[in-house]
Amino acid sequence: MRTVKIFIKAGCSRCPQAKQAGAALKDEGFSVAEFDVGTTDGLAEGAYYSVQATPTVIIEDQDETIIGDFRGDVPPMQTLRDMLTGS
Amino acid sequence: MGSLVELKERQAPVDVHETTDMALLVRTSSDNLAGWDRQKIVDAMVREADVPDDVAERISLDVEETIVRAGIKFVTAPLIRELVDAKLIECGLEDARKKHTRLGVPLYDVDQMILHPNKENANVPHGPEATNLTLAEGIKKEYALLKVFTADVGDAHMRGDIHLHDLGFIDRPYCSGQSLEYIKRFGLSLPNSLSIAKPARQPEVLLAHMVKFAAALQSHFAGAIGWDAVNLFFAPYLEGRSDREVKQLAQMLIYEFSQQAVARGGQAIFTDINLYWEVPKHFENVPAIGPGGEFTGKTYGEYEKEAQRFVWALFDVYKEGDGTGRPFFFPKPLVHITEKLFRTEGWQDFLHHICDVASEKGTTYFVFDRGETAKISECCRLSFKLNASDIEDAKSPWKMRFSALQNVTVNLPRIGYRSKGNDTALFNSLRAMMELAVKAHLQKKYFIESLLALGDSGPLALLTMATDGAPYLRMHRASYLIGMVGLNELVKIHTGEGLQESKRAIKFGLKVISEMSLLCKKYSEMHDMHFVLEQTPAESTAYRFAKLDLRDYRDHAQNFVRGDVATGHIYYTNSTCLPVGSSENPIERVRTEGLFHPLIEAGSITHIWLGESKPAKESLANFVIKVFRETQNDQIAFSPEFTNCLACGRTVRGLQPACPHCGSDKVDGITRITGYFTKISSWNKGKIGELRERNKNKGFFAK
Repeated sequence: MRTVKIFIKAGCSRCPQAKQAGAALKDEGFSVAEFDVGTTDGLAEGAYYSVQATPTVIIEDQDETIIGDFRGDVPPMQTLRDMLTGS
Repeated sequence: MGSLVELKERQAPVDVHETTDMALLVRTSSDNLAGWDRQKIVDAMVREADVPDDVAERISLDVEETIVRAGIKFVTAPLIRELVDAKLIECGLEDARKKHTRLGVPLYDVDQMILHPNKENANVPHGPEATNLTLAEGIKKEYALLKVFTADVGDAHMRGDIHLHDLGFIDRPYCSGQSLEYIKRFGLSLPNSLSIAKPARQPEVLLAHMVKFAAALQSHFAGAIGWDAVNLFFAPYLEGRSDREVKQLAQMLIYEFSQQAVARGGQAIFTDINLYWEVPKHFENVPAIGPGGEFTGKTYGEYEKEAQRFVWALFDVYKEGDGTGRPFFFPKPLVHITEKLFRTEGWQDFLHHICDVASEKGTTYFVFDRGETAKISECCRLSFKLNASDIEDAKSPWKMRFSALQNVTVNLPRIGYRSKGNDTALFNSLRAMMELAVKAHLQKKYFIESLLALGDSGPLALLTMATDGAPYLRMHRASYLIGMVGLNELVKIHTGEGLQESKRAIKFGLKVISEMSLLCKKYSEMHDMHFVLEQTPAESTAYRFAKLDLRDYRDHAQNFVRGDVATGHIYYTNSTCLPVGSSENPIERVRTEGLFHPLIEAGSITHIWLGESKPAKESLANFVIKVFRETQNDQIAFSPEFTNCLACGRTVRGLQPACPHCGSDKVDGITRITGYFTKISSWNKGKIGELRERNKNKGFFAK
């Protein structure tokens, strides 16, 4: 199953939009993981994906291979859905 | 050796601020017992250690009786002090005993120091000056542990939980980075100097000022002295000079710094020169200072061509090597690779030129400044990232001076042994060690501030000079470094896998360093200081920690320390690096190690060991571009190996048991120990153990 990873941090102006997108995708049944880079776990995961800006959205396949990434940006919902479904 | 009279005469009212007078008193004392006066022992205990009068009286009587009973014919001040200290312990006055302690060195140790080289720092040669340095360091180290740091901090160092670097230089900050602009603008006017020089009018004089100022700084800092944008700041002096003259100046600069093994303790000044092909954005529109300290009426952006001529010439000299073809150990050239480099005419030729030197001699360091990042680099990997106020300072570049006050390294594998696989225990232990490191920094800061407060009559007068209106050492801008050794071993102890073995291991390693990074932020806010992580060079610390863990955690540690336990050539993997012997290709190593680098604000490096191979410059250039574009790695260096024949003087590629030219077995190997080149004969056992395991990446680069 494909997963979307969303990296946010406090005080970031576009992060609420990324969080909303994540929540909506979760409601639609997609696998969503959110990481706050102000926490140890979030910062570590962010470092692994070389996250240099927030929000960052990364979509991975079941083998944790990156299908797509949006750094410092939130893509349209439909783009995310398409990537998550492989369409 | 001091005599009893030394003790007596110290009681005389002297001006304690005059160290010279006290030293003279010691020298003029005569070694006889004629002046025995028990009251002097009482006075010393009361004055130095706050011992109550009646207790001091009783102890002095006991000591006197011991001396008389023993029938000792020759009594020295150190012996009396030892006897008094033993009595203080018997009385349960441990605190008083500490205050009353005499710092010194056993006769046997002095003998060893005079006869044998000190291998704690491969940049210290063996000679009378080096012995002086080692002796002074020994005393100051004891002083630091007794007087500057509290017992918990000192004990943590002695146990090997943490390592307090440069304890022997306790009365100095750690390192300094600056630009030439300070001496260009103000000349050379140093406290205690016998003469004052006005700003230089000729490039050769500017170089002379630079070398002298570097030597003055070396005697006020423990470690590296770094210089920003050296080729750019020399540029206004080079207009109208022929290529031949520019090459001559480049040669002078490199030889001056590489042959300076005559200063402090016979050490070469650990010098870094930051270099650019382009004019860095933050200096483009800055008014240039030229001969006589005058503004030239141009900006530095207009000196690009002169700056390029000089940096090219510097690498011509680096390529030739010294008189026997050896690589220059100092000054280390740190070339900044920036976005602007790739937009600056001639960048490909320049990149090939410095890669040619990297392949031929290994001398080049590639520092990656991606995006808007700007920094000044020095030491083995330390860098000061320029923040908004630093960029503002760049408009008046003489103000740009940076310092780290101290470096404290955490022994990560030990945390692994103690936490026994329990995550909570591990992170609690990590936090406790970080707190100790912060405490150590606060104590060192307090001590240095007390020295600075003595102003121009104090020991750090040079750092208080305020030629431009602010003290040379800007304490409020200082950094406090926290390093780490053995992340790879910690991860292996805790998860069963080393960093190179799985994604899970890498992620756990990142979690540990993320925690350390966030703790630095937290402590920075809490104390209004700048705590930052740095990859400690750990030339001797990686060996020291491994030795201490093998002693105190033997059952565990023997499975995790690297190297050869039987011969004692043991070490821990440095900082956040992958094991030196792991087999991944260099680009994968650079990429993986680079994942940690953004978390380590004060500098990181990946070493690419070349052994005897000599890759094509084009191959290395492509590698460098790939590292810049596709990784987060902070800095890389390529390290070939050489053999220098002590008989015929020739230098050949690779580590050879005998000289291929004359057959002599009197040879010495040369390669990079940590962040600098040096002779292998000066390495400690841990580093020798590491050298044997390095993956030399044979066959990876095109020839």
